[in-house]
Amino acid sequence: MDILANIWAALPLVFSFDVMLAMVLGTTVGIAVGALPGLSATMGIAVLIPLTFAMSPLVALGMIAGIYNGAMYGGSIPAILLRIPGTPAGIATVFDGYEMARQGRARAALDISLTSSAIGSAVSAIALLLVAPPLAAVALKFGPADYFWLAMFGMMTVAVLISDNPAKGFLSACFGLVIGLVGIDSMTGTERFTFDQLNLLSGINIIVLLTGLYAIPPAVGLLLGQSDVDTSRLNFKGVKERIDWASLVPVWIRSSAIGLFIGLIPALGGNVAAILAWNEQRRVSKSPNYGKGAPDGLAAPECANNADTAATLIPALTLGVPGNAVAAVILGAMLVHGLKPGPELFRDNATTVYGFMLTMLITSGLMYVIGKLGARAFVNVLRLPPLLLGPMILALTTVGVYAVQNSMFDVWLMLGFGLIGFAMERMSIPTAPAVLAVILGPMAEASFRRALLISGGEYGYLFSSAISITLVVLIVLMLLTPVVRHIRARQRRTQEELPSGS
Amino acid sequence: MQFKTLREDFMKKHLTRIAAATLGIFSATAALAEYPERPITMIVAYSAGGGTDVAARTLVPYLEKYLGNDASIVVSNKPGAGGEVGFTTLAHAKADGYTIGFINAPNILTIPIQRKARYTMEDIQPVANVVYDPGAFGILPSAGIENLDQLIAYAKENPGKVTYGTAGAGSDDHLAVLSLEREHGVKFRHVPFNGNADVRAALLGGHIKMASMNVTEMVSDSEEGTVIVLGQMSKERWEGAANIPTFREQGYDIVMGANRSLGAPAGIPAEALEKLSAATEKAMNDPAFLAGAKDQGLALYYMNAGDFTVSLQSLNEGYKALWAEQPWIAQ
Repeated sequence: MDILANIWAALPLVFSFDVMLAMVLGTTVGIAVGALPGLSATMGIAVLIPLTFAMSPLVALGMIAGIYNGAMYGGSIPAILLRIPGTPAGIATVFDGYEMARQGRARAALDISLTSSAIGSAVSAIALLLVAPPLAAVALKFGPADYFWLAMFGMMTVAVLISDNPAKGFLSACFGLVIGLVGIDSMTGTERFTFDQLNLLSGINIIVLLTGLYAIPPAVGLLLGQSDVDTSRLNFKGVKERIDWASLVPVWIRSSAIGLFIGLIPALGGNVAAILAWNEQRRVSKSPNYGKGAPDGLAAPECANNADTAATLIPALTLGVPGNAVAAVILGAMLVHGLKPGPELFRDNATTVYGFMLTMLITSGLMYVIGKLGARAFVNVLRLPPLLLGPMILALTTVGVYAVQNSMFDVWLMLGFGLIGFAMERMSIPTAPAVLAVILGPMAEASFRRALLISGGEYGYLFSSAISITLVVLIVLMLLTPVVRHIRARQRRTQEELPSGS
Repeated sequence: MQFKTLREDFMKKHLTRIAAATLGIFSATAALAEYPERPITMIVAYSAGGGTDVAARTLVPYLEKYLGNDASIVVSNKPGAGGEVGFTTLAHAKADGYTIGFINAPNILTIPIQRKARYTMEDIQPVANVVYDPGAFGILPSAGIENLDQLIAYAKENPGKVTYGTAGAGSDDHLAVLSLEREHGVKFRHVPFNGNADVRAALLGGHIKMASMNVTEMVSDSEEGTVIVLGQMSKERWEGAANIPTFREQGYDIVMGANRSLGAPAGIPAEALEKLSAATEKAMNDPAFLAGAKDQGLALYYMNAGDFTVSLQSLNEGYKALWAEQPWIAQ
């Protein structure tokens, strides 16, 4: 086996002191970067690139692997403890993770998140190592029409998120769609909702929106003394909560598969993977309190967003098609070291590339160890007096958001979204539909228009590929399921009522 | 902060005068000849980790080396609006030689043509050209088209059937196809994407017929045989793709591509301009830099401030003429 021989050859390189140190450092930095709202793996790696000029390729790549994996887990820490997703991929973690923390089960929640993340990362890395080339072909199969339906499929989750109060949910989703419209329309070059503002021309960065909507309201809440996490019930020492790990195994299998698949498809990322996995788990979950502190509702998104990491590298390394911003930056870092992605990479630099893939696997283990060691410290965040924690969050988010584009405008924008988020919370309007709409709306719009440009206005093109048709069928099924259930339930009721009535 | 720099300026001025008066040998120009005497900021109008950013950061250490005087250059990313945020920052910076930036043609030229920009080309002093990446057309081998003549013939037989992807409306990739359409009376169908990586993926997946991209982005596909590159839009073949003929060789007079160059605010001191331009030339001949550039697949093409200014002006005239005749974005 070629692959096994390459892995064997790369092993000694990976287990050298330099590379191991780089991986430990990278993972630690990654967890920190992920946990800080505003900072992301993309930025962490981009900042690192000039520093890697002097390093050997594998040392640099090992550190990058650590940052990438670590950041995906790191994003869940503030999501669980403070209701602030550290990265866009952490939104779905808030749903059940934060509820668990509220119930005083923060430690258990962190454990579940860490284990699920590590398993997701490991599965993904193994897929990358063993079956990258055949899987890569999938990435190219997706055309504009398929992207459109995929975005619509993702939008279905909005329906679930807003089931408590459809009117308010729709309001939130529409707000997100409008935000997604801002900026130069990439298809025609027309400026939309830019108000002659230079800083709005490239649209509103998702991180600015996310941080504003999610990080500012809890910080303000802390300052107003309205933290609703029950710290008195937090178990800092003493007996640990028993977690039913066996029940999570099917969750991991399902969510890893979702994360892998989404990672393979360019333009989608951990955020979409996490939301789809959470939604899929909701469909099959037996937990009575799903969405309100169910362990499987936390395990699913965390496993899926980490299963996305190495999978994104499959098309990136084998075809040079970077699926998302992180993968693009990683390719940039590789180019600096003369590693050109594509088939030649696997031919000419097999040891380095297999070494890199191994570091993706090893850092998922390192992440588990470092996360375990850090867990106690993370939970202690909740012990900080609210009057200290609130300003700290405000300061960190300001720095983080400024760093995204070195722009003060973004900071003001974030604070503005913070006010809106605070108001939405007061009026109990959910914020998740807005964020989801910002991620999926522009994707749906651009791919729809692109598909029609390709077909010359022919709508049939939207239903012309097997992938599109499959997605349409799934959407229709999802839409019909509640209707059918409703009708059946009514039929049963009338049948039951009939005999008693007669 | 503001006050402190003012005071420093004031002190510096006076110290220079005192020195000139006492020693009688230093003049104002001599003081400037010590450029650079403090850190230089280099504005990059694109995100950290992107192509321009990585190229800039690769060049910086060599630029520092050849500027001498313990020069230090700090890269500052100002991404947004297709480069306009960064270009505007550069154009409005103090013209003292301590703020320079990467300018990317055609973006820096086309932005003021296609919309009300916050800078004009009069605000920018070209310093040196670093990279010239010629445009190129890529097509899948299964299409059975191997050169431009065949492409034009196919397009004439099947009007509007050839879909082509670009990195967006108004990009150099898009303008290149518009020129071809205009000069040869054919019609292609434009499908804009969000970046070159997406265009390439769509081509490889067979969702579009043709990709209009830069040649460095297609050279490895061409070597692998997965994509046929119909031609490169340079005057002479770029040495990294010596087996791909130019458009001119095939009888199509189109020269277009993407520049990555150094610029400064207009009106920077002549000494600073000369030193920067010369240091760029020396840096671009440094073997270590050349090796780094080769690894990244950069198509290097040095032009000094004078030649580059002339070249930008003629490009600008060309784009203005094209816009007058056929605006490339909806107005």
